[in-house]
Amino acid sequence: MVGIIESISSFASTEPAAFAFIISIIGVAIIAGVVNVGAMLVIWAERKVLGDFAARYGPNRVGGRWGVLQLGADAIKLFTKEDTIPYSADKAVYVWAPIVASMATMLVAAAIPFGALHINGRNYPLVVANMDISALYVEAALSIMAIGVFMAGYSSNNKYSMLGAFRGIARMIAYEVPMGVCVISVAIMAHSLNLVEIAEGQTLWYIFAQPLGFLIFFIALITDLGRIPFDQSEAEEEIISGYNTEYSGIRWGLLYFQEYNNMLLGSILLTVLFLGGWQGPIIPIPVLDIVSPLIWLLLKVIIVMWSLVWVRSALLRLRIDQVTDLGWKWMLPLSIVNLLWAVAIGSYFA
Amino acid sequence: MTTANEVLSSIQSALPGAVLDSRVESERRLWATIDPRKIVDVCKYMRDKLSFDHYSGTAGLDWIAKNEMEVVEIMASHGAHQVVAMLKVRTPRENPSVKSLTGLFWNANWYEREAWEMLGIKFEGHPGLYPLLLPDELVGSWPWRKDFKGYPDLTTGQRAVEIPTSDGYTRYMIPPTTMEIEAGTVPTERPKYPSLREREEMELKSDSEMIMHMGPQHAMVPGPFLLDVLVEGETVKKAFLDLGYIHKGIEKIMENRTWLQGITYTDRMCYVASLSNNECYCGAVEKILGLEVPERAQYIRVILEELSRIQSHLIGTGEFLTLIAGVGYAPWQYMIIDRERIISLIESVTGARLTHTFVRFGGVRNDLPEGFSEKCRSTLKYMESEINEFIELFEQDPIYHLRMDNVGIITPDDAKRMGVSGPPLRATGVAYDIRKEDPILLYPDLDFKVAVGTRGDCADRIDVRLKEMLESIHIIEQCLDRIPAGPIKTEAKIPKKIPAGEAYYRVEDPRGEMGMYVVSDGGDKPYRVKVRGPFYATFQTLPPLLEGVFIADVVAIAGSMDGCPSEADR
Repeated sequence: MVGIIESISSFASTEPAAFAFIISIIGVAIIAGVVNVGAMLVIWAERKVLGDFAARYGPNRVGGRWGVLQLGADAIKLFTKEDTIPYSADKAVYVWAPIVASMATMLVAAAIPFGALHINGRNYPLVVANMDISALYVEAALSIMAIGVFMAGYSSNNKYSMLGAFRGIARMIAYEVPMGVCVISVAIMAHSLNLVEIAEGQTLWYIFAQPLGFLIFFIALITDLGRIPFDQSEAEEEIISGYNTEYSGIRWGLLYFQEYNNMLLGSILLTVLFLGGWQGPIIPIPVLDIVSPLIWLLLKVIIVMWSLVWVRSALLRLRIDQVTDLGWKWMLPLSIVNLLWAVAIGSYFA
Repeated sequence: MTTANEVLSSIQSALPGAVLDSRVESERRLWATIDPRKIVDVCKYMRDKLSFDHYSGTAGLDWIAKNEMEVVEIMASHGAHQVVAMLKVRTPRENPSVKSLTGLFWNANWYEREAWEMLGIKFEGHPGLYPLLLPDELVGSWPWRKDFKGYPDLTTGQRAVEIPTSDGYTRYMIPPTTMEIEAGTVPTERPKYPSLREREEMELKSDSEMIMHMGPQHAMVPGPFLLDVLVEGETVKKAFLDLGYIHKGIEKIMENRTWLQGITYTDRMCYVASLSNNECYCGAVEKILGLEVPERAQYIRVILEELSRIQSHLIGTGEFLTLIAGVGYAPWQYMIIDRERIISLIESVTGARLTHTFVRFGGVRNDLPEGFSEKCRSTLKYMESEINEFIELFEQDPIYHLRMDNVGIITPDDAKRMGVSGPPLRATGVAYDIRKEDPILLYPDLDFKVAVGTRGDCADRIDVRLKEMLESIHIIEQCLDRIPAGPIKTEAKIPKKIPAGEAYYRVEDPRGEMGMYVVSDGGDKPYRVKVRGPFYATFQTLPPLLEGVFIADVVAIAGSMDGCPSEADR
C-alpha cells in the first residue's frame, strides 16, 4: 500500500502534466457517476414530493412502500425498449442529439464544485477542473444544451418537434443573457470568476447582498431547465412532447436524464453563487467534521430542488410570447439594474 | 309574456297559408306544420319579429309508412319569451329535399349536415354538405332511415340479409362469402365532395404554413375528435373540426330498444352528466304520457342532478387546468379528490359511480338511504369552503390571469347567434339558464341566482362554473330542508306501449342546454329520439374562435368549453 502511494507521488513529481491529466480523467468518471446516480435520486424524489403536494403517494409499489426501486425498473424498461428512428429523420443528427445534450451536461459538471472536504481546518474543494474562469465556462457550457435540444427537434422531421425546438431556442436566447449578467454581478462582488472562490468568499450570502439578482437567476434557471412555468419546448398538451416527441428507448432516456442532471447541477450552481456554497458551521464530531461542508451543500441543494418542484405543482405554463416578453422586457433590464447595484456596492465586499 | 297561441296567430296573420297544421300543446310549446316553400320566410319572420333568436337544432324523421320525410326545426328565444316552436316540414321520401336555414341561423350548419348524412335529406342552399359524423366511405347508406339494414361490406359491396331469431327480433347480418373479389369491381356510388384533407390543403397559401393535428390523438383532447390547425409559426390561421370518432349511434340504438331500456343508453351519451341525460329522456316520455311526478321524487331528482352538476364542473375545470399547467398541477388533484366525495354521495343513492340509470318514468328508482341528509350537508359545507378557496386561488394567481384573461372572447351577440349555451354563454353576460327559462320539476319554487360573467373569456367561463357550484350547493340545501315524505314513484301504471305522441323536453345540463325530441308511434319502442346535446352546439363555434390565436391558446379555448366529444358524437 505504502509502495503504491510512494510510486504515485514520485510519478506526480516527475510528470506533473501527465498526472493532472490522469486525475482529471478519474475525476470526470467519478463525477459522471455521481451526477447520473444523483439524477436518478432526483427523479424519484421529484415524483415523491410532487405526489405529496397533490395529496398522492407517488411511487409506492416497486421496492417497498417508498418505491425506491421504481427508477431501476424504469431504467431497465428504457434500456430494453425498441429504439425507433423515424424513416424521414436526419439520422446522424438524430442519433447525436441526445449525446450532445448529455455531453453538455458533463462539461458543466466538470467545472462545478460538488462541495468540499474539511481536513485539518482547511477546505479542499471537490471539483474536477478548478479553472480561474469556471463561472464563465459553466455559463457557456449550459448554452450548449440548447444545441442538443435544437438538434433533436430539427432532425426528427416532425411538426411538434420543430415547434418545440423553435420555442426552446427562443426561450434560451431570452434568458441566457440575464442569467449571464447575474453571474457577472456575482463575480464583480466576489472579485473572481472562480466558482470555488465565489463560494468561499461569501461573507454575506449573495442572496442577501443582491436579492434581485437571486430572483432573476432563479427564474432564468427554471427557464434553462425547461420546467413549468417555462416548459414550452415540451408542452405536452400543446405539442405532444415537443423536441423529444419522436425519441424512444434509451435515446429518450438520455434526453430525459439530461433534464434532471441539469436540475441537479443548476441547483448546485445556484447554491454556490447565491447561498454561500458549502459554508456552514463545522459539526464537531470526528468523521462528520470532514464531510460537514458536503452536508451543508446537500441541504441547501435539497431546499432549492424542493422549491423547484413546488413551483411546478403550483403554477400554470406561460405562453411562449409571454415568456420572451418577460425575458426581454423585464428580466434583462432588471438584471442590468442588479449589475449596477453590484458594481456600486461591490467594493465593500473586497 | 308571449304565449304559444299569440305566436301562432301572429305567424298566421303575417304569412297567410304558411301554417298547414298546428297544435298548441301548452303555453310554452307550439307545434306547427309549415309549407315547405315558406319555411325560410316563416323562420325569418319569427327570428326578426318574434325574437326566436335561439335555434336549437334540426331533427329528421323517416315516416316510412306515409312515404315521407319530416324535418323538425326547433326554435326558442334567449329570454324574450318562453315559447319553444317546433316547425315541421314534410318532403317526399324519394329525393327528400328541404330549404336550408343556414342563411338565417349560423349554427344550422352542423345540424343539417347530420340530418343529411344520416337520413339523406338534402338541404338546398347549404354551403357545404360534407359528412360530419360518418366516415366518407359510409355516406350514401343513410343509416337512420327505417329501412336501413346495415352497412354494405366495403370490400364485397354485399348487403345484409334478415336472420330470424327465437326472441322475436330481427337481426341483420352480412352472409359469409367465398367469392373472390377483384379490386375496383365493387360499385361505389357515393356523392361527390372533397375530403377533409383536400379541403384543408386548399387553404394552404404559402410554404411557411403547415397543417398540424391536435386530435384525435393528442394530449389536449378530452375525447377523440379531429382538430387540424393551419399554423404559420405559432399563429393559427384556420381550424378544421371533424367528429364521429366515437359515434355510437345511440339515437338509432334507442329506436331498437324498449322505452325503459333506453334510459341506460342516455347514461352513455356523456357519463359525466348522466343524471341530466336520464332526466331529459324520462321527462320527455313523462310528457307524452302526461304523468305527474310525486313531490318527493322531484326533490330527489333535483338533489342528485345538482350534485351531478357540481362533480361535472369540478372535473371540467380541473381537466382544463391540467391542459394549461400540466398534470403536475396540484389544484387539479384537489378537485378530483373533492369530486370523489360527491361521487360517493351519489353512489350511496344510485349504486353507481357514473352511469346511474336512476331516473324512471314518473319517479326515481329508489329512495334516499338513511342518514343521507346529514352526510350530504356535511359534504356540501366542506365543498363550499373548498370552492371558495379555489376562487381565491385563481384570483390571486398572476399567471392564471396572464393565460386566461381576454383569451377566447365571445361577444354576447356572437354567442347567441352561434347557439352557444351553458357556462360559455353565461360567461358572456347573457343570463340564459333553462332552469329559469323553461323550468322543470320544482325549479320555479327554488331560490337561486344565475351566475354570469362579464367579458366572455376563459377566466369568466371558469368563474361561472365555480359560482354555479356554489348556487347548486344552495339549491341542494333548500331541497334537503323541504323534502317531504311520500311515494317516490307515480301511482299510475306505466304502459309497456307508450301512446302515440311527441314531446320536446329541455334540461340544463352542466354543459348547457340539452333537449330531447321523442316521438312515439304507439309501439313498445321509441319511433325516434333526437338529442340536442349542449356540447355539439358549443363545439361548432370552435373553428371561428381559434382563428388568429396562438397554439397555446387553442388548448386554453378548447379546454375552457368543458368538452365532451362523447356527447357530441352520441
